[in-house]
Amino acid sequence: MADAIQPLAGPRQSQQGGPGGWTPMRTRLGAFVRRHKLAPYLLLLPALAGIALVLLWPLIQVAIYSFQNYGLPQITGALPTQWVGFANFSTTLHDPLFWLSLRISVLFAVVVVPLTLIVGTVVGLMLNRLGRKMSIFVSTAALLAWATPPVSASVLFYWIFSPDGGLVDWALSRMPHWLVGSTDWAQYNWATTGALPAYTLIALLVIWQSFPFIAVTVLAGLKTIPAELNEAARVDGASPWRIYWRVTFPLLKPIYLVLLLLSVIWDFNIFTQSDIIASLSNLNEYNLSLYIYDKAFTFPPSYSLGGALALIFAVILLVITFGYVRAWIRQGALQ
Amino acid sequence: MTITRSAAAVGLAAALAGAAVAGCGSSGTSSPSSSGSIPAKLVVWRMGASVASQVTWMNGVVKQWKKDYPQYKNTKVVVDWIPWTSNTTDWTNALTSGKGGPDITEIGNTETPGLAAQGALANITSSVQSWANGSQIIPGNLANDTVKGDVYAVPWFGGVRGVWYNKDQFAKAGITSPPTTWAELLTDAKLLMKAYPGTYGIGAPTDDTDAIVSFIWGAGGQVAVQKNGKWVAELTSPASEKGIEFYADLLRTEHVSSTKYIGETEIGAPGTAGPGGAEEDFALGKLDMYIDGPWAEAQIEQVSKTNESQWSSFPIPSQNGPNPAPAFSGGSDLGVWVNSKYKAADWSLITVMDSVSNATTFANSQGFFPEFTSQLTSPAYSSSQLMAGFAKAAGYTQIAPLNTANWATADTGKYNIIPTMMKELESGANVQSTISQANAELQTVLNTGSES
Repeated sequence: MADAIQPLAGPRQSQQGGPGGWTPMRTRLGAFVRRHKLAPYLLLLPALAGIALVLLWPLIQVAIYSFQNYGLPQITGALPTQWVGFANFSTTLHDPLFWLSLRISVLFAVVVVPLTLIVGTVVGLMLNRLGRKMSIFVSTAALLAWATPPVSASVLFYWIFSPDGGLVDWALSRMPHWLVGSTDWAQYNWATTGALPAYTLIALLVIWQSFPFIAVTVLAGLKTIPAELNEAARVDGASPWRIYWRVTFPLLKPIYLVLLLLSVIWDFNIFTQSDIIASLSNLNEYNLSLYIYDKAFTFPPSYSLGGALALIFAVILLVITFGYVRAWIRQGALQ
Repeated sequence: MTITRSAAAVGLAAALAGAAVAGCGSSGTSSPSSSGSIPAKLVVWRMGASVASQVTWMNGVVKQWKKDYPQYKNTKVVVDWIPWTSNTTDWTNALTSGKGGPDITEIGNTETPGLAAQGALANITSSVQSWANGSQIIPGNLANDTVKGDVYAVPWFGGVRGVWYNKDQFAKAGITSPPTTWAELLTDAKLLMKAYPGTYGIGAPTDDTDAIVSFIWGAGGQVAVQKNGKWVAELTSPASEKGIEFYADLLRTEHVSSTKYIGETEIGAPGTAGPGGAEEDFALGKLDMYIDGPWAEAQIEQVSKTNESQWSSFPIPSQNGPNPAPAFSGGSDLGVWVNSKYKAADWSLITVMDSVSNATTFANSQGFFPEFTSQLTSPAYSSSQLMAGFAKAAGYTQIAPLNTANWATADTGKYNIIPTMMKELESGANVQSTISQANAELQTVLNTGSES
């Protein structure tokens, strides 16, 4: 492989060639590639083939399914596979539960993404000012939260908030009513009572698990800012708040754009946590991921509805990405 | 660099869409089976957790099978234990991949019509017709396994829900005989809470359709009835509404149930295998009365055996007594898997597992009832402290419409209509509008398998 690529690497490469009839052909091929500037594309080819195999082909399959009535009876042969046009899409768009779960997903992202970014930034700024030992201690502790597998973390939070001896319910039930309201907190089931308590719990969990990544990334960005800039601002009498918004934030903007997009995609896609905490039986606690899973895989599975939903989901994410790229270009980040 | 990033983002979006449906694979249709050949092994899927007494029982059955059918003397019978909470996933995976499936599978009796409609079970009509035991099976239960005139499974054991309580607690609360009307049930629940402060009288989990229907039926209502070949939902009939409201009011207005059961099944958070939730609370003495079947005994014991000598049962009361409310007739069936290559061997093993004596021994050892009319009246049940109430309940049962092909879609799977309705009601939603919305949804799903 390396041998075949070498001649493509550049004109400075010596072209001594080896024995046998291969050499002239290899030289000609090399010349062709060079003339048409094909080298980058050839290098991309293996990756593209891989992506086509594991991504493109399934996507095409999904698109095909989404216009059919494909489920178990079609797999077992009990019923024939039929083309149903846009029926799966119209079923989805007319389902109130789809809109409810979309709303929950959007609201969740709208609340959790800024909170994660704020908490992450504050911790990042703090890490930047801490001494070396303390900084290592705090970042290690935070990264442990980040490294905890979502399943373990979900079960952990479920227990903390459980009415069967969970710490939070126990503590709340011992607080005076004027402080925490007249709810019977000892019996309060955060996970199953409704969407608001369930996603409050999930939001805390997700923020706890995702702020360390933001903090460390922000810290890395802060380290690249020359100390003189902050110093100059301080000498000019700027408050820390002003320094952050006038000096630090503009310099870190590219980092924030990346973090924002990643956070939106992550938080919009919460599945593990909501599956464990809200569960697939509590329909009024579905977010979009649970809804898609339910439609596609809950017995009896409908791969066609699942396919249609996946396409709709892809469109939503493309819209987000498009808006994001546009914002990026407008702010001159692509110069 | 930045361009690459946005390109990566687009790729990421596509990847996520792809991941959402990864796992859908295509598979070929099953090849025609050579049902006469001798299998090297047969795979039996049993539901639940492996229990020593069940393993012993199965070993005896296999021994007898090899004696009765010497041609299978070298066949190995493998039992796989499938958790109830994931059995549909495992069936689905076996069907979509076309391999790794069972030869014989146990099926929850409400699941049978739906599973048959998906094409997962072999048509065993002719085998059942020539089966001597077939005529002894409780007729309604065999009808449950019949879809469009064809039989897809045979009943194996049955069970009904009743109300668990502790005898000594009733005595201390001054309750002389178990309640037979709703008014008495409520009074007793309050008496128990007074005698045992800090406990709740009776658990009313919202994700417990099989118990909730008894209250609908117990007021003389129906979930849905068939008229001219179509399902008509009847949750909004005055009687049904009364039953639904009574159950919800156990929490809403009477406060004899706990708020933490909102959104839970009788064994805790949905999707878990228990013990948890109301079941665990009953075992720990935090809940005075608990609705479930006698099969819960194993799990209750797992939590605590402290009150074991006091455990008793009574049938779920009807609104005005004296007869109990009809109990949902649950249980398990045995079916032959559609992709099995040895359907004749499968059926022969089923007939041994489901012989009158084997099935009865099995049911008795697990807190179930046999499916044979002749066995059900045995005095062994009425004389047992724990089983007496359940045995009485077993005399008043109903299945429909919990056995329609689309019931799984309506209740346990994609729509979860009755649990969702009950959850909303116990959370304080308007009674009339919540029930009528559920009613409309139920009618559509039962008839079409989806909402639109």
